[in-house]
Amino acid sequence: MQSRFGLKDFFTILLLLAVLISVWLSMTQRTRMELAIDSIRVKLGEMERQDALLQRQIEKGFASGVPVASGAAPAAAAVQGNDAWARPGVAITRWTSPAPATDPAGIPGFAVGGEFTEIFEAQPAKLVPYIQSDVYGTRVLDRVCEALGSFDPKTLKMVGVLADGWQIDPDGLWIRAHINPRARFSDGARVTAEDVRWTYLDFIGNPLIEAERARSTQDNLKTVKVIDEQTVEFEFKEPFFTNTLIAFVNPVLPKHWYSKFEPSQINQATGLLMGSGQFKMERLPSGPDNIDVQWTPGTDIVLVRNEQYWAEKPPLDRLRFKVVSDELGRLVSLRNGEGSMILPSSPQFNKVLRDDADFEKAFYALKWVNMRCGYSFIAWQCGPRAGKALTPFHDARVRRAMTMLLDRERMIRDIWDGIGIVSKGPMNPESPASDPALKPLPFSPDQAKALLAEAGWKDRNGDGILENEAGDKFTFEYTYATGGEISERLARFVKDSFTNAGILVTTRPVDWSRYQDLLKLRDFDAITMGWGNNAPESDPRQIWHSESTREGGDNFTQWRNADADALIEQGRRSMEEADRMLVWRQLEAVIAREQPYTFVRVAPWLRFVDRRFGNVNMYRTGLQPEEFFRSSVPVPAY
Amino acid sequence: MATYLIRRLLLMIPTVLGITLMVFLIVALAPGGIGAGLAVQGGQMSDTSKVAQMQAYLEDRYGLNDPVVVQYGRWIARVCPVRFGMTSLESPSGERIPVPRELPEPPMQWAFAAPAAFEVTFTPQSGDALVEEFRALQRDAEGRRRTYVGSVRAFKDALADHVRSLGEPWTSRLDPKGGADPQKFRDLPLDSSPTTSPAQTDAATQGMTATWAKVNAAAEQMHLAWSLAEEARQRATIAFKARPFPAAGIEVIRDVVSIDSPDFGVAFSRNRPVWDLIKTALPVTMLINLIAFPIIYLVAVPTGVLASVRRGGAADVASGFFFLLLYSVPVVLAGVFAIGFLANNQYLGWFPVSGLHDSAEATMTFLPYTDESGAWHRGWLLDTLWHLALPVLCLVYGGFAVLSKQTRASMLDNFSADYVRTARAKGVSRKDIVISHVLRNSLLPLITMFVGIFPAMLGGSVVVERIFTIPGMGSLVIEAINLRDRELILANTFMISSVSLLALLMADILYALCDPRVAYE
Repeated sequence: MQSRFGLKDFFTILLLLAVLISVWLSMTQRTRMELAIDSIRVKLGEMERQDALLQRQIEKGFASGVPVASGAAPAAAAVQGNDAWARPGVAITRWTSPAPATDPAGIPGFAVGGEFTEIFEAQPAKLVPYIQSDVYGTRVLDRVCEALGSFDPKTLKMVGVLADGWQIDPDGLWIRAHINPRARFSDGARVTAEDVRWTYLDFIGNPLIEAERARSTQDNLKTVKVIDEQTVEFEFKEPFFTNTLIAFVNPVLPKHWYSKFEPSQINQATGLLMGSGQFKMERLPSGPDNIDVQWTPGTDIVLVRNEQYWAEKPPLDRLRFKVVSDELGRLVSLRNGEGSMILPSSPQFNKVLRDDADFEKAFYALKWVNMRCGYSFIAWQCGPRAGKALTPFHDARVRRAMTMLLDRERMIRDIWDGIGIVSKGPMNPESPASDPALKPLPFSPDQAKALLAEAGWKDRNGDGILENEAGDKFTFEYTYATGGEISERLARFVKDSFTNAGILVTTRPVDWSRYQDLLKLRDFDAITMGWGNNAPESDPRQIWHSESTREGGDNFTQWRNADADALIEQGRRSMEEADRMLVWRQLEAVIAREQPYTFVRVAPWLRFVDRRFGNVNMYRTGLQPEEFFRSSVPVPAY
Repeated sequence: MATYLIRRLLLMIPTVLGITLMVFLIVALAPGGIGAGLAVQGGQMSDTSKVAQMQAYLEDRYGLNDPVVVQYGRWIARVCPVRFGMTSLESPSGERIPVPRELPEPPMQWAFAAPAAFEVTFTPQSGDALVEEFRALQRDAEGRRRTYVGSVRAFKDALADHVRSLGEPWTSRLDPKGGADPQKFRDLPLDSSPTTSPAQTDAATQGMTATWAKVNAAAEQMHLAWSLAEEARQRATIAFKARPFPAAGIEVIRDVVSIDSPDFGVAFSRNRPVWDLIKTALPVTMLINLIAFPIIYLVAVPTGVLASVRRGGAADVASGFFFLLLYSVPVVLAGVFAIGFLANNQYLGWFPVSGLHDSAEATMTFLPYTDESGAWHRGWLLDTLWHLALPVLCLVYGGFAVLSKQTRASMLDNFSADYVRTARAKGVSRKDIVISHVLRNSLLPLITMFVGIFPAMLGGSVVVERIFTIPGMGSLVIEAINLRDRELILANTFMISSVSLLALLMADILYALCDPRVAYE
């Protein structure tokens, strides 16, 4: 009886446990604070170093009479004079330092400072350039890293960012770029030609670094040469228009920092991200010794203003990216002020605006089509299904009829709550590669019937179902991915539309991982999907060329068209943008005529943004958080 | 007892292996197979054959082409603490470097004789120069291996093209995806080979169909790539044998047997060590469960006792009704209500919507305090509890019913037992009967339920984690399965199954300790 375990003992143990756990937690918290202090220390050291550098430069400037490379005027001077870097006889395109597309400084309420929180639906797996592959990681990366060039937000033309000038070989075999002498990485080190070379050949090109995807896109790159400290030259194997993309849109990495880490450390890192952009990671290790300082998934991503930025600095202090996986949770976070921007779904976008009259007083509801908008489609099997029998869709007339049987306007109205525009072809409507005069095929069951009859499909025995001459009924299988209400509704709509026209449709919902297999095996009659977009024009070969019907290619409809093949080959080798756009428009017309896909919808970007932020502009490239500012004008209480 | 324990522990090994193998087979044989999440979506890459070669390389890198059983066996070999064969090295950054892999043989050697095997000899440098040299050789070997694997792929494509040009019956032997497995074409007629034609400058392609000439050219490319890759591999191996880094773990016999900690590998869907992923997810799930389970017990057990003492009374009926009501509310719905009302500033807005900590958590003090201006700061501890409130609520409310009903039933069982009647007859007070006799005996079945929380902790709660954006084990497990990530699936299954088995063993031991009637001899 003496050693009986009583209630008192139980509570004693509980208390003891609680104390122990608290002690442990306080200790971890302590370490975290120390980490924060550590990063401040690193930053201080950095500033000191920078200070010393400036001091030295000023001293040197006084001694030799060379103008100090800071402020706008000397840089302009550097641009006009010295062309020693250029190859003679080829035109030079010059660029000034990057500036905001819309200057926020003149807008009422402009203020410097503040934090902007973007809410993601899912966690980026990692933030390491070229190794990360998800869309969320890219959005963070774009704020931190800069490339030699980028697309102008208003005109979509390629303009220089790190480069203050470049030359493009008229024959398309080389590109020479001159780096702005003011350009600095966020630790204050200069951006040099060697950094560019190293990024391409020793980072992406290093087989020990798991940048396989990036490596494959640069297959056409022969070599990268350092001409002088600020000049770099790319050489290519074949003259393709994508060469400019290879050279200009890949972020330039600081060699001196990344080369401190082993390839295996870079492969497994989660937040090794440094560049020359307007923001930088809040916490970055200075080397392998404190590599644990880096960001890890599961915590918010915080970017702070790059105080060392070499051109105009952004107004905001910090950008925060947090994850809320629940759709309602995201909206509530925005309303509660825990987030500044969310991406609503189409139904949510309209529902909020309908139900809440005051919503737009406190939030911008943005909806626009830009170069990053993809399109959804129904793909028709134009070749033999899985290498066996041909489907009815091998005939272009049948495919056109299928498109005409679908009332795409109504689909957008009923399925996507009216958000979206009818897609007419593979080119982004914002891109000059798309012909504004080209209209999508009309919804016209009568014309469709006529086309089907022409192709041999008519109701021969009066049962309301179409048959061909052999008496086979027109039937096909419609494959879609499970797990979305939208795709279920789409499937029902498709089935109804075709059944009305006397075509038998069986639906086949499959899991996404199986989907990939079906696409590879070409094992479907009709399948629905979407393609994304991230540039005004992309190489159409992978999707539309008949060569791409082979394994590894994305021409899973097995659509072969000699005209299209010729146009693709011609366009890829056409270095002159205006000529190339004409070729792409012809290609668009061929695809629209042949309808290997029924193009359904271009999905616009949807955003809810807090009105406390100013200069939120809908650009043709998307949004530019670098230009946002936290307005000092109060917004009505919500 | 000791023999019993040893027997149970030894039996666990085959059981865990069996479970992991089963789960792995189910995932591997499901449509899509292992590594489906690795599938590349193109649209950007310009050349189809290059994409195919890149996929071939990724498959080679992660060993996805090997039979499922081989993949499983390789995993076992890595997890097993006793390692055989060449000892891995450990770089200063903690990376385990295995010996450079053997190259796969060039295919179709009956038609295209493989280049003669050769042996490279060279003397590696020593000291720091060796480390540099080994790194360079390693990089070289990997790069050339990539080229070689790509060239094998190109060869197979050329072969497939040739087969297609021959027509039936050959084409029917092609894979559904249109690829050609050389093993199936052992009896393919070899087009007039270059050796039979007169030796002239361009004789190499004379008398051949165009497609066969391409197969020949591809074979030549492939053999060239093989030679280069093999040479690089041998050099890297020689440098490896010179030990640029110390051996990993404890070597028992040099390059034969060594002992090392289990290596769970790298999750290829996220490209991070599996152990790192588990290390970050597990404490989160454990924290939530360690708060939730005591709450369930502290509420459900007393309620159950009360319900049994006043059987049929208002407390019994009310608690039974209320708990069952809670039990039947789906977590998804409860979570949405919690966010929509309890967290929404338009309604109550008492709790945060998501996550485990406030944005400013890194600068918080641990305990709450009031600063000079009188403003109150929550501190890290309270902030965490505040964030945990809603997820814990959602995790807890459904658990009351089962446990309180269980307690009630087992109490009632004991009330009707002989010893209770005897105690009553002796005149023991009702309070003593309930507390020290009946309750103590009724808690025994709860042991089984109690140990069940350990596997639950590892599995996590998928729904709650998703709704409240908590990066715990549940999300990790689901993601592993969705992306068919071999390493992550195996490691998770391994951990969950071993912890479940250990928990069951613990339950049995606890029985023996609590109940003198139970003994293991």
